[in-house]
Amino acid sequence: MSTTTPTGPPAAKADARGGRLGRNTQRLNEIGLIGAIVVLFVVLSATAPGFLSVTNQLAILRDAATIGVVAWAMTLVIVAGEIDISIGPAVAFSSVLLAKATGEWHIPFALAVLVCLAVGLLLGAGAGFLRARWGIPSFVATLGLWSALRGLAQYMTDGLPVPLDANGFLDVLAGSILGIPTPAIIMAVVFVVFLFVANRTAYGRSVFAVGGNAEAARLAGINVSRIRVILFATTGLLAAVSGLLLAARLGSGNGGASVGLEFDVIAAVVIGGTSLAGGKGSLLGTLLGVAFITVIGNGLVLLGVNAFFQDVVRGVIIVGAVLINVLLSKRNGARSA
Amino acid sequence: MSNTDVVAEVRAGTKRYPGVTALSDVDFAVRRGEVRALLGKNGAGKSTLIKVLSGAEHLDSGEALVRGTSLAGLGTRDVAALGVATVYQELSLVPEMTVAENLFLGAWPRSRGALDLRRMRAGAKEAMARIGVDIDVDSPVGALGSAGQQLVEIARAVAQRPTLLILDEPTSSLAAAEVRQVIDVVRTVAEQGVAVIYVSHRMDEIRQVADTATVVRDGRIVETLPVRTASTHEIVAMMLGTAPEAVAARTRRPSAEPPVLSARALVSDRLNGLDIDVRPGEILGIAGVLGSGRTETLRALVGLDRPASGEIRLRGEAVRPGAFAAMLARGLGMTPENRRREGIVPLMGVDENIVISDLRKVSRSGVLDRRAIRQAARALIDRLAIKTARPGTPIGTLSGGNQQKAVLARWLHAGSDVLLLDEPTRGVDVEAKRQIYDQMRLLADDGRAVVFVSSEVEELADVCDRIVVLRGGRAVAELSGDEIELNRVMALAIAEE
Repeated sequence: MSTTTPTGPPAAKADARGGRLGRNTQRLNEIGLIGAIVVLFVVLSATAPGFLSVTNQLAILRDAATIGVVAWAMTLVIVAGEIDISIGPAVAFSSVLLAKATGEWHIPFALAVLVCLAVGLLLGAGAGFLRARWGIPSFVATLGLWSALRGLAQYMTDGLPVPLDANGFLDVLAGSILGIPTPAIIMAVVFVVFLFVANRTAYGRSVFAVGGNAEAARLAGINVSRIRVILFATTGLLAAVSGLLLAARLGSGNGGASVGLEFDVIAAVVIGGTSLAGGKGSLLGTLLGVAFITVIGNGLVLLGVNAFFQDVVRGVIIVGAVLINVLLSKRNGARSA
Repeated sequence: MSNTDVVAEVRAGTKRYPGVTALSDVDFAVRRGEVRALLGKNGAGKSTLIKVLSGAEHLDSGEALVRGTSLAGLGTRDVAALGVATVYQELSLVPEMTVAENLFLGAWPRSRGALDLRRMRAGAKEAMARIGVDIDVDSPVGALGSAGQQLVEIARAVAQRPTLLILDEPTSSLAAAEVRQVIDVVRTVAEQGVAVIYVSHRMDEIRQVADTATVVRDGRIVETLPVRTASTHEIVAMMLGTAPEAVAARTRRPSAEPPVLSARALVSDRLNGLDIDVRPGEILGIAGVLGSGRTETLRALVGLDRPASGEIRLRGEAVRPGAFAAMLARGLGMTPENRRREGIVPLMGVDENIVISDLRKVSRSGVLDRRAIRQAARALIDRLAIKTARPGTPIGTLSGGNQQKAVLARWLHAGSDVLLLDEPTRGVDVEAKRQIYDQMRLLADDGRAVVFVSSEVEELADVCDRIVVLRGGRAVAELSGDEIELNRVMALAIAEE
């Protein structure tokens, strides 16, 4: 009886198992996504004419930016256990605001851009404030924005596109820098910023803490309300940036644009392995999720699939991808128990 | 007592997990009508034994039998059908549903496709009567409080008419006064001929509930003995495997310094003119029964709640009540009572859970410094002997004691010098408890003020330099130094309800 082992080391071993597996699930998901994207590339280059062409690849990058610019911010929102469904209307509203401000209201262009960004930021912050101060679920707060901004954008324009006067800045936004579409460059820059913010700043880690256990975070001295306001202010700001890119691309402010964009963004984040329950997620995963969704969309167009039926295919693929992710983490979870 | 009375037994049972032998050649038997306490540190093998008897795990060698039937190859459902009911530590009730609905969760009586509410209520009333408890079966479970919920959980298990009832730490989330109710229920159930296996860390309650106790250590059964005749020191020594003399050796040093934190005439929902002085260099215990205002006192002091009236002074200066962030910035730190719900961020690493209290300390010009985080965390992990594979291991996978030490480490990282600890030893094994006591002592010796709230009077009497006894939201007595005696503290706390 005296030669038995102490109880410490076995416990520590069990910990190591749980920890490594938790991380492995995320890794597995990312590896799986990379695999899926590679398969998509192989299949599409064999079946879809012109898929591998430089023009098409650049078009994919440009399309990716539509989702990506906001998806990085959305990742943190979802990690924090929140959701922002106001993205599509917010983007459209921002494009309308730019067109109206520069045209009808004669505001100097640079100032109009700043106004758009500021309004986007404040609207987001407003939704965040409703969540943080009064505990209105973020789904509801942003549902309000979703409805109001779409309505406002359509009302201000009578449902018609408002033309924008061309200028150098818009041309750059709509065009390319060194051959790379400008939106893709902005997406990349914002990605690097968010990667850094999420992992290397107190704010980023606080977001994970709030999502993992908001009450514990509060008792540890984190200002949870402030974090929540900032989260939605960021999605608001980046939706406004997307709006500017949209306006530049279309040459007009368009109140009816970007319908359903919020769901593409949320789908990309969730496919990337971020948990809707909060506390867990990765920007790298979201990056792959954005790539996955964009490539599918592009392929379906090239294959000449009926536009309505494209939505059906995408819906099935998105749920399937998340299902695989869930099954993977279940299996890992079962093994570690 | 004949062998036919044996309800469940394990013969020469051995169970190995990778790298550890959880049960080693164990012989164990319980008889009908017997309440058997299972004692041992976390990891001693108690949980494995329970899992084997409930069919959740199977022995590598040896035999497990329930009413003469071997459990080999049987699943938990089969074993339940043999008459084994298990109540685990975590409650599995739906708070929004009524007691009756919860009692029949998933097996609601139906007639012609619709719920048969009358039958359900009648069945629920009968189930509550069987355990001798009077709880309104129509009230939502969430409205009951922890003790009531635990009783519903037991009632649900007993309603299956088990021959063996296994209770895994049924009282770990209950205050001392509520434990009484659970004990009464367990006795009632045992008198009906059910064999009960009762796991707990609290000696006092084991004495009241159990006939015999089996002490487990390192996967072996050390001894099975009648609890009434065994002394606590003897049993603790068996659990720890050390001589009784090594267990307790305490010195009390009430501080003579002026208070660093003091409150006068605090009034709130639960506080009723509370006065308290917290001095640097000592461990101040707060004793009192459930509802006496222990947690509320801490929350008011740290600024989480704003009292309706009263004054709080920190280092002689009046502070604005309810200014939580400011209080943290000025050196206060609190570890909450409910570690899982309010203490830890389970998916985050131990390291980040520690440094979260002050991320500026591990940042350079606004950017987190990974090396600084690792160093800071490593130092505290070593200092508090937190058992974790790596600093980055998700804290949710650690044992309760190690989680608690990490939550305490959080405030050491922040450099807090007034530490308010709410039930820091709840649900923590004996070894970790001792380490937490040692840390409190070291911190007090270091000149910090430690406030220790506990519903276990024994440990307060054991570690504190001074004890304030609360009753009905007021401090009714203060004992310091040699005035502290277990019986006295206990008597003061429970006197005139």
